[in-house]
Formats: sequence, structure tokens, C-alpha cells
Amino acid sequence: MTFASPLYGYDPRGVVVAEARAIAPRAADLRGLRLAVLDNAKMKAGKLLAYTTEILDGEFKFASINHYVKRGFSYTADPDMIRDIAAANDVVITAIGD
Amino acid sequence: MTTGSIASAPTALATDMTPLDGADPQEWYFSRGYTDGLPVVPPTPEKVDAMVAALGGDPDLLEARVPPRWGNLTRRVLAVNAVMAGCLPIYAPVLRAAMRAMCEPHFNLNAIQATTHVIAPLAIVNGPVRNEIDMNAGHGAFGPGNRANATIGRAIRLILLNVGGALPGVLDKSTQGTPAKYSYCVAENEEDSPWAPYHVEKGYRPQDSTVFVIGAESNHNINSPLPNDPEGILDDVISSMTTVVHNNARASGHCTVALSPEHAQTIAKHGWTRHDVRSYLQMYATNKFGKIVHNFKYGKAYNRHLPKHYRRDLDSDIPIVPSPDNIHLFVIGGTAGRFSSFIPGWGHYNSPVLRAIDGTAPDGGPVCIDGTCYL
Repeated sequence: MTFASPLYGYDPRGVVVAEARAIAPRAADLRGLRLAVLDNAKMKAGKLLAYTTEILDGEFKFASINHYVKRGFSYTADPDMIRDIAAANDVVITAIGD
Repeated sequence: MTTGSIASAPTALATDMTPLDGADPQEWYFSRGYTDGLPVVPPTPEKVDAMVAALGGDPDLLEARVPPRWGNLTRRVLAVNAVMAGCLPIYAPVLRAAMRAMCEPHFNLNAIQATTHVIAPLAIVNGPVRNEIDMNAGHGAFGPGNRANATIGRAIRLILLNVGGALPGVLDKSTQGTPAKYSYCVAENEEDSPWAPYHVEKGYRPQDSTVFVIGAESNHNINSPLPNDPEGILDDVISSMTTVVHNNARASGHCTVALSPEHAQTIAKHGWTRHDVRSYLQMYATNKFGKIVHNFKYGKAYNRHLPKHYRRDLDSDIPIVPSPDNIHLFVIGGTAGRFSSFIPGWGHYNSPVLRAIDGTAPDGGPVCIDGTCYL
């Protein structure tokens, strides 16, 4: 019985089939825009975002500030929430505060 | 037996194959980052074909997409990883069932793969297939030495690494990792259990074979040599369950308890059923809310990860899991030794999945209410 070396190496990764999408256009000026604040539900995300929002609003005077909270930081974002954020806001900030 | 002989060379090279041109196969796989850090069994056309055949042929059939890379897990890709792990073809249906189960959306594999936590998918097999593929459910079942346990668990990990892209520090951000990320697959010791097997408790027939998957920490030992009654043994289990630093304590969800045969038999002698055990553990495994939030030493805390209906007074009793159904009870281990395990889960972010292995029973889908799924 003999054991010859394999002749081929195999790529074990499988292919990724993904649709390329362009990122949304960047806002040139934040002044007067509608701001979404997305809290990912991490322990201190709310505090970090509140502080950040206060500083940004002082500088840019947003037309509105809408707050959103994910069900949990380890869940995929709820598509309905993403739609709501996109419909009612011009820019969004989020953060991880652990 | 000859592997990779000229006679067996494919006529047209598949796109996932590269001529080694005399290179050391082990070094070839290591250099491309295709291993778990250990040497692999280099796949050959014969081995891959045999594994695909055990899955029913049709190598391009898509079985699942594995997050967070979302690579396509075709039968061929599954077979290649299974061969690399050292699996025999007869293990392939168990491996496939486990991967399909983990890729159910409510299992939340995407987050399990990427989290800073130490969580790893644990697979527990029930039914006749355990003996057909010679799995170890007895002494050292969670440890090394059994080919089926070790290589099915390893194949799961290789798929999570290679197809799912969970490379440590890249897409797997686990702060410390865990040895359970090498291989984490066992079987229930149905033969030495005083109760019906886990999958029968969940509605399957004894002759069905199933795989249960859950996001799990490594098993935490419960050394309970003295108690000779259910309450004494289970109070020691509760002692392990009620630290405040695992995710069930802080974020509820599901957990696993693996009783040794000796512990299970002592409990059953007193007429206690599986339901009695799970109910006792759920009722008395609690922490004071104050203990969870350090008695507000670091500021007032609400804890958004526990169920909303829990009172959050400092002296409120907070259950480790919200229902007896969230405790998944197995009998695992050898017939000597009063050592059991508590296996914390990952909080409410993961819902476990129980799936029949192909051809043995219809799939029993979960009941999902408001995003929480029950078996």
C-alpha cells in the first residue's frame, strides 16, 4: 500500500455572491439637516450618543433629531427601522459604547 | 490505497483546484490560511467525491450561506472542508444538518461569529445515528479521542472559518476565544440516561436522529459528590448557574445543562422527570438585580438586555433564564463520576435549533413570537 502526495490543492472557502451597491451620497453641510441617532443598545451607547449629539447640535443646529434603538446590539438591523430612518432623516450617527 | 494518482486526475480542473506542483500539501493549506492552525487532511478527488456522494450527489447544490462572509456552502465546499477535518463520508449528513441548523436566521450565526464574547456553536446529536457513526457520549465525551465527535466538530469550525470568514481578529472579534472553537460536538448518552432522550422530549421518535445546536460557552464543571437527593444535586447546578458574569445572567436567553449519568440516575430515583429538573433549576437559579448591576456602584443601571417585565429593584430576583423551556437538559458522560456541566448560552441573541438529520424525521420548526424562538 502506498500513499502518494495529492496533486491538487482545494480552495475550501466557497464563492461569495453579492450585489455591489454604491454608498449614499455624503452630506456636504450638516447645518439644518434632519439627524437620526441610532443607539445599538450597547451598555453605554446611549450616553456616548447623547453627548455627541449635544455637541453636534450646538454646532450645526439640526432641523430635527430622531432617536432609534436597536432591539439588541447583536441583532441584524431591523429592515423596517432602516426604512424609517431613511425616510425621516438626512444623516444618521451611531456608535458603540461598551 | 493511493491518493491523488495520475489515473485519478480530473480531465478538466475545477475552479477550486490548483496544481500543487510538488509543494508540501500541509504548507500549501497553511500558507493560504485555510486551516484552524492544525494540519488538515489534504483533499483528493476521490475523497471529495465520496463525501459528495454521501450527501446525495449534486455537488453544486447550495446547502446554506455562511455569515459573516456569506460564502456559498455547496455540497462540494462542505465535502472539501469535511475531508480536511478528517471526517468519514458517513458523518456528512450530521455535519450538513448541523450547518443548516446554524444558518437558520434565528440562530443569529452572523453575530455569534463576530462577537467579542467567547461563544461557539455547540452541536449535540441524538438518536440511532450516534451509534451508527460511533460517537462518544460517555467518558470524556466533550474531550478528545473519538473521531466522529472530533472531526464533525472540527469540520463545523473549518466551515465557519473558511466559508464564514470568521478569522480571529478579522471577522471574529472574540476577545479571548475558547478551545470550544476548535471542535464542539457531542452526543447524548441515551443508554445510561434514566429519562427519554432530549429529542423525544421535543416531540421526535426514539428512532429519529437529530442535531441540536446552540451558542455556548465551554462547559463549566459541577463537582457534586455528596448529595443523594435531587435538591442537593440541583442546588449545586444552581451554584454554577448563578454567577453574574456569564451572558445568561446578564442577558437571559437559553442555556444547556449536561447531567452525568450518576447525577441523573440519583435524581430520577426520587421520581423526578426532566420537566421537574428544568423547572426546579429555572425557579431557583436567580440572582438579585443588585448583584447584576454592582448595586449601582458604577451608576444607576437599567440593563436593557433582560426582559422588560422584570422588576429592577436591587432586591428583585432575576431568573437566569425566563422559562424551563430555555434550559436544554441532556445526560452526557461516563457512568462513573458525579461531575456534571452547566453550559451558559449567549443571552437572548441566540435561539437554539433542533433539526432532524436527513431522512429520519420531518423538521420541527421553531415557534417564534416577537423575535424569540422556542423549540
